[in-house]
Amino acid sequence: MSKTIALVEDDFALRENYISALSKQGYSVQAFSNRALAEAAFTKQLPDLAIIDIGLGDELEGGFHLCQMLRALSKHLPIIFFTARDNDFDTISGLRMGADDYLTKDISLPHLLARIAALFRRNELLQTPLQASDVIQQGDLCIDSKRMTLRWKGTPIELTVTEFWMLYAIAKFAGHVKSRQQLMDESNMVVDDTTITSHIKRIRKKFQQIDSQFDCIETVYGMGYRWKMQA
Amino acid sequence: MAIIRIGLRAQLLFSASFLLAIPYLAYQYVWELESYLRLGQEQTMVGTARAVATALHERPQLFNSQSAFLSDVRPGKDLYAHKIDSAIRLDGNLQDWQPYDALMIDYSTDNLLNPSSTYQPQSLSFRHMVGQFGEYLYAVFDVTDNSVVYRNQNSLHVDRNDFLQIALLLPDGVFQRFIISPFESQWVNAYLLSDANKAVSLQRKIQGQWAQTEKGYNIELRLPLDYLAGQIAFAISDVDEDSNGQVKYSVGTADPTKSDDLGTVLLPSPQIEQIIKGLEYSNSRVWVVDKHKRVLARSGDIQKVSGFSDQTDKKNEGLWQQFEADWLLPLYYQILTKPPTQFVDDLKDAFALKGRDLDQALRGESSTLWRLSSDNKAVILSASHPIFMEGSVMGAVVVEQTTNGIRTLRNKALEQLFHFILAMVIVGSLSLLMISSRISSRIRTLRNDTEHAIDIHGKITQHLSPSKTQDEIGDLSRTFVNVLTRLAQYNDYLENMAARLSHELRTPVAIVNSSLDLLALDPKADDAGVYIDRARDGIRRLSAILTKMSEATRLEQTIQRCDVETFDLVALLNGCVQGYQIAHADRVFTLKASVARFDIQGSPELFAQMLDKITNNAVEFGVNGSEVFINLVTDSSKVRLFISNKGELLPANMRAELMDSMVSLRSDKQQSTSSGGHIEPHLGLGLYLSKMIADFHHASIDIENQSDLSGVVVSLSFN
Repeated sequence: MSKTIALVEDDFALRENYISALSKQGYSVQAFSNRALAEAAFTKQLPDLAIIDIGLGDELEGGFHLCQMLRALSKHLPIIFFTARDNDFDTISGLRMGADDYLTKDISLPHLLARIAALFRRNELLQTPLQASDVIQQGDLCIDSKRMTLRWKGTPIELTVTEFWMLYAIAKFAGHVKSRQQLMDESNMVVDDTTITSHIKRIRKKFQQIDSQFDCIETVYGMGYRWKMQA
Repeated sequence: MAIIRIGLRAQLLFSASFLLAIPYLAYQYVWELESYLRLGQEQTMVGTARAVATALHERPQLFNSQSAFLSDVRPGKDLYAHKIDSAIRLDGNLQDWQPYDALMIDYSTDNLLNPSSTYQPQSLSFRHMVGQFGEYLYAVFDVTDNSVVYRNQNSLHVDRNDFLQIALLLPDGVFQRFIISPFESQWVNAYLLSDANKAVSLQRKIQGQWAQTEKGYNIELRLPLDYLAGQIAFAISDVDEDSNGQVKYSVGTADPTKSDDLGTVLLPSPQIEQIIKGLEYSNSRVWVVDKHKRVLARSGDIQKVSGFSDQTDKKNEGLWQQFEADWLLPLYYQILTKPPTQFVDDLKDAFALKGRDLDQALRGESSTLWRLSSDNKAVILSASHPIFMEGSVMGAVVVEQTTNGIRTLRNKALEQLFHFILAMVIVGSLSLLMISSRISSRIRTLRNDTEHAIDIHGKITQHLSPSKTQDEIGDLSRTFVNVLTRLAQYNDYLENMAARLSHELRTPVAIVNSSLDLLALDPKADDAGVYIDRARDGIRRLSAILTKMSEATRLEQTIQRCDVETFDLVALLNGCVQGYQIAHADRVFTLKASVARFDIQGSPELFAQMLDKITNNAVEFGVNGSEVFINLVTDSSKVRLFISNKGELLPANMRAELMDSMVSLRSDKQQSTSSGGHIEPHLGLGLYLSKMIADFHHASIDIENQSDLSGVVVSLSFN
């Protein structure tokens, strides 16, 4: 049975394009042009994944409300914000509401599809037993690359797909410097340096919420980032 | 190139320092005043001298003494009877004469009656003076004689010993000689002497004391004034032990044997003194001198007279007076000189005066002279006036005064002046300093605030708070605030412009992007044409946005190149309203015009463009189904066009800025509510462009809330 993806997007042309693209990948797509329609449908049946625009018609923050509603209905439903707004404030708000990823509209179709696939894979693997081969242990850090989960000193940390890919790229080979371009490639993004920096900051913050002494993600000025070997 | 930086404070103080010229002028003025006062004093004193002289003119009896008529005065021979202040005891003791010691005259070689080459002063010489006290003339002789020979008790000769001869011209014109020839140190009387040097009779009117001393002897004598007619001669003859009774030397004031060559004695004239006695209270010292400058009379004391009575020394023991006395006056008197209360008076016992003024007076002209006392403490002004008698100068009146009065007066004036100068300088400098400090600190604050308001990249970081002071600096501050606020709004607009643009651009880019991606995935798909159309649609939207962006610039160019024509505004409004009604079916458009035709100069196309913008706003900010009311009103002087709608109000604080800068009040919501799939991007240029077009039509445009706060009205007034 094909996965169902809900697409909430008010721009007609864009909606049609993504419906075509997702359909071609074998997903079944439910498209909605406003919040009311989407909410009505979601209360009847949840999709397997939701892609939501933030500004929906008249409602400036319709997407946020929709996200909160979905999160209330299901804890594990992958949600991707897909919006024209690229400021930090909106990104942070979106991720706080429990979205799994926050993408701007200029991301290429393949990159979007890669994320969708990754989220689906994670959800699937979460239900299968753990296999040691997929796990990378790096000091106190324990990364399960398949399930896209990680633990720091035993405590799980939730990262978005983009963040996970970035951290994975950095932590896989401790001590190796990863340039921003490499991080961009690893995480299937085309963004500016500032966006990378704010992603790294967010990742650090998430670690520091658990361990205030955390300082393993090291900035190598002029080059990029690396995972600091623990003594 | 190093330019010296001179602060506002220094500049102000420098220019204000010219004000110090004022106290300087005042100081000069006081000095000037003093010189006028001196001139006045001179005149007053000449007047006094003239008045005194007037009382003495043509009164020969006052000048009846012989000496007054002498052509010249021989010192030592013509004697001056000094006024003696206290009675003289005739005891041979010269203690009484001590105060007048300086007035004694030495008689020795030059006064030998029979010049001799063997003369020795220690053999015979004496010091002598005459004085007047009461009704008597006193004479004193301090004789040096190495060998005193007294008259033999049994001798009839009076001239075989040391003796004193006195020759007098009596008031009745008789010439008489007297001799004092004692037996020992004793009370003596004079004997009238006959032509053959024999003692004729005892004359008790001339009496005195002969007292032997270590170096010789003293003689004190007195004779009544009424016994004198003004001519007199004294001579002392010395007889030594070895001279065998013969007179060895005779020393005298004049030769007593020659009746026609006696000396004179000048007595201060009691009559004149009486006349000028009244002047003792005239604040000056008055002298009357004869033509030989010898003092005939005087009155007054120069130490006491100051010229002007000083009545300003009231004793107020207030705090101010204390401060003045303790601090200010000592400071002032570093510069000022206090008139001395005591000074050396050269003329205290003078019997003869001198000076240019007196010389001139004796030549017949009154004159004045300023001189310093010998200790340089006081300035004394003397005025002289001649006394005439039968056309010739008989003497002169000299009036003297110190300038102490004037100086006290001047000092008082200067004290007051210095008070004012000090107060002025202190208060003036302090207030100037305060004002300039305040100004420069305010300017500095403004400068710092302005500097901090914009960071090094030119970004406005903080807002200034406008000054409330109603002056130029306050204006400057407010202007800065204004400028910065507008700049901030414009910057804000530009910054938001980028965000808005990226927001506006991202959707069409995503459309093009995804369409191309889909095409790339399956170029031969059946719906490839649809993707191409979508991509084109996205690109069309992109170019529309770009067009909007340059609208303002293009409008400016259009306006510059636009040909002005005359068109009927009412007709134009009618046409537009019909069009709007079709375009916005959910609104009601009403046009009301008070005239049937109104021609204006301009471009109908541009005007319509402006109306489009305004109406578009009215539609977008209004509520569905509401009315957009267009009203053309004409009155006597003005034509006004109102476009009003019901709906959202303007924010209270931004009415003025709306027209001035590129401000967009549209929220994101309104950005995206534009109808259909064709999104019209809003860049906040609508009203700005409208203003440009309105200016071109010589109209002023304004936007405000309706008075009942039900909506917004845009008004255009044509001049």
